Amino acid sequence: MESRFTETHQKLSDDGHESECDKIVKLLDLMIDGEASTEEQSYFNTHIEECVPCFESHQKQKLLKGLVCGHLKRVIVPESLALSIKARIQETV
Amino acid sequence: MSEQTGKQLSKEEKDARFEAELLPVLDPLYNFAYRLTLDEDDANDLVQETYLKAYRFFDYFEQGTNAKAWLFRILKNSFINEFRKKSKQPAKVDYSEVEGYYNSDDVEGEGGVASTTDMRTESVQDLIGDEVASALNALPVDFRTVIILCDLEGFTYEEMAKILDIPIGTVRSRLHRARNSLKEKLEKYAKSMGYNS
Repeated sequence: MESRFTETHQKLSDDGHESECDKIVKLLDLMIDGEASTEEQSYFNTHIEECVPCFESHQKQKLLKGLVCGHLKRVIVPESLALSIKARIQETV
Repeated sequence: MSEQTGKQLSKEEKDARFEAELLPVLDPLYNFAYRLTLDEDDANDLVQETYLKAYRFFDYFEQGTNAKAWLFRILKNSFINEFRKKSKQPAKVDYSEVEGYYNSDDVEGEGGVASTTDMRTESVQDLIGDEVASALNALPVDFRTVIILCDLEGFTYEEMAKILDIPIGTVRSRLHRARNSLKEKLEKYAKSMGYNS
């Protein structure tokens, strides 16, 4: 199941070519993950300055990433784990 | 440069080097194992097995290269080979119980802000964290994996491709689908709480 988010942005422009917004959607992940090239970054930033839906999509995508890295609790490593790893390694010849 | 070739090291030297280079990765590695298995005992076993394998192949590990990515790769392969068949859940897990303790240092790390934070804000943070965890845990394991590697552990696409043995293009498309799926689950939650996204 594709999310509604994707569907709303997958409309092709009238001539059947990829619209600018479609290209922006494809760059969203690259942008929030810091993987976009300099050219991609400036293309992206120029577009979202003028396009409200794409600007909002970018905000949403950043928020989603922030939820995972900022709110997901880390589990605590049991104290015994490091000790038993060291012990088992010392036994290994 | 010409420090050592690895094979001439004494057992003591090798052990010391192993511990110094690889044990610092224990925390992220255990968290990754836990997110994959959703079980503390399985995570424990998986991490031990990973370190034992890493020790066996330590001569092939080049000092100073990406120890974290190397260990994650070993762990992910062990998980696929052995654990995946065995643990067919996502069983019903009481996340509030399993994740009841967490690293409060992270929350309080920002210059004493926490001391003035009121309890209500903290419990809202907890609630969001629980919800993100259960939405994430409900994803298929391949989706869960790319989100953890990227958003939680900060690996680059290139590192993820190496850890997962897939082309970068596949990393990108899998991440994109995983995020859509996670977004869908979290939007449902937001709606059920009365927020319109």
